[in-house]
Amino acid sequence: MNKYTIICLIIFILLGPFLLPNATITEMLIFGIVAISTNIMLGYTGMLSFGQALFFGTSAYISGLILLAGFPIFLAIPIATLGSFLISLFVGYFCVKREGLYFICLTFAFNQMFYFIAYVWTEVTGGEDGLVGITRPEFIDTQFSFYVFISILFLTSLYLMYKIITSPLGLIFKLIRENPSRAEAIGYNVRFFKLVSFSIASTFTGLAGSLYVLIHSMVPIDQIHWLKSGDIIFMTLFGGVGNFLGPLIGVVGYIWLSDTFSIIWARWPLIMGVIFAIIVLYFRGGVSELLENLVKKSQSYFKKNKDEKYIKN
Amino acid sequence: MKNILKINNLSKNFGNVSAVNNVNLEVEVGSIHSVIGPNGAGKSTFFNMISGVLPPSSGKVYYKNNDITGFESYKLPHMGIAKCFQITNVFPKLSVRENVWSSVFSCAQKSKFDFLKPLSNFKYVAEETEKIISDVGLSHKINDKAEELSHGQQRMLEMAITLGAKPELLLLDEPTQGLAPEATLEMTKLIQKLSKKYTILLIEHKMHIVMEISKVITVLNFGEVIDEGTPSEVKESKKVQDAYLGRG
Ligand SMILES: Nc1ncnc2c1ncn2[C@@H]1O[C@H](COP(=O)(O)OP(=O)(O)OP(=O)(O)O)[C@@H](O)[C@H]1O
Ligand SMILES: [Mg+2]
Repeated sequence: MNKYTIICLIIFILLGPFLLPNATITEMLIFGIVAISTNIMLGYTGMLSFGQALFFGTSAYISGLILLAGFPIFLAIPIATLGSFLISLFVGYFCVKREGLYFICLTFAFNQMFYFIAYVWTEVTGGEDGLVGITRPEFIDTQFSFYVFISILFLTSLYLMYKIITSPLGLIFKLIRENPSRAEAIGYNVRFFKLVSFSIASTFTGLAGSLYVLIHSMVPIDQIHWLKSGDIIFMTLFGGVGNFLGPLIGVVGYIWLSDTFSIIWARWPLIMGVIFAIIVLYFRGGVSELLENLVKKSQSYFKKNKDEKYIKN
Repeated sequence: MKNILKINNLSKNFGNVSAVNNVNLEVEVGSIHSVIGPNGAGKSTFFNMISGVLPPSSGKVYYKNNDITGFESYKLPHMGIAKCFQITNVFPKLSVRENVWSSVFSCAQKSKFDFLKPLSNFKYVAEETEKIISDVGLSHKINDKAEELSHGQQRMLEMAITLGAKPELLLLDEPTQGLAPEATLEMTKLIQKLSKKYTILLIEHKMHIVMEISKVITVLNFGEVIDEGTPSEVKESKKVQDAYLGRG
């Protein structure tokens, strides 16, 4: 991250609540955690999981149930996050045994399994109606305090994930993406590190899920549906897997677009589909790469103009 | 004579095909031991069994008298065995420095949690990386991506990655494959230089290269050892000549 991206991030955090409704901006930050962590697995390690809603949803249920039982939020968040970590170890253990398409199918299958459990276990999860009636604790009752609370967790997560990808571990992830058999040959246990990557992504996604319940005071069942896993991949790719904060742009764009279009036209996912196809076909690096190229071009343009002025003078 | 690697009755079958059949071999410490043979003789299969890529059908591999048969390949560099691939096998989108750094780091880790510490904590890894890169003559390319290097340079990088593990035993599978004559000469010289520090098991197809530098040569044909001896002995062998002329 260079200083310009950090400045942009700070401006976004400071101005966001004034430009967007509270529920929208907090949802953006929460899904920002999801997409950036998913990118550690997708962009850095080269593993496409189609089951991340499993962790988001399960964690949301755990956190919601703990809050409903009357326990404080400072228990709900860590327990739900720890829960996602443990589930990710279990699910990941089986998934990383396979590669490519088989890996994708396995993650998808686990997602379906968990969705089905949530669907039929109505006494606990509320089934199709979702988990309702969760109350926000008093100290984050106002829009302002809630936003500050979510921002702090968002920035802390970002900081931790940034530390991870700039450590040797981040480099090992890239080795696996680039050439797994060579990574193995120089002494890295590829399957183990794939599991680490999977768990990191899933644990942060779980953390985000545990926060999500606070926005609307409920857990709708579609938060654990595989369509949500698709959304997560969409947002990540839309923003761009080429750099650390790229996916955040995808999240902001996706949530803003879907909020805007869903009011105008009920068939808005069609537009999303078209945008997605264009991105995958023509802008593999997503919006962030597009912006990067624009900045580079304008820089060289201004530089040229300056040079020309010099010559004239 | 002290051997560092000992192979006992190693065999590999692919269905009905016996790719390697009852091979015995001992590699002496500090020597260059070459395994040669015509195309399809079973050299790569033999190599892959030693380096943990293929599990043998039967037989044993001993390294310093420890049984390492069927060990997963990621364990070998940590024991002092490193390998170089037949086809160029680097990390294309990463810089030359990152390529080599990763390999040095892998075997230099002191604790299980080293991989979570900041990169700047590993000064000795950075120094070692630069030294190895300069040894293979790629210092001027250190910040370039591996995919931007010429084929010959990528082979050198491949070698640098292999050396990063600080091995005692080097396993090389046709390091000169697909190289232009000058680059082949350069690689041969490098191998000769390396043999002062490492024990080398060299798999080769080209006879003239191994003749100059090997101490012992084992000749494979149809998966079996047909001869073994010093370069001059092997050169004289009728069986070997026949095999290479396709009359074996
Ligand atoms: N995975 C496999 N499945 C079936 N047969 C195989 C397999 N790998 C190798 N073989 C067969 O085993 C024999 C030995 O192959 P190998 O690649 O070891 O030869 P080589 O000596 O390395 O040849 P080259 O000089 O071309 O590299 C060949 O007949 C090959 O067709
Ligand atoms: Mg071969």
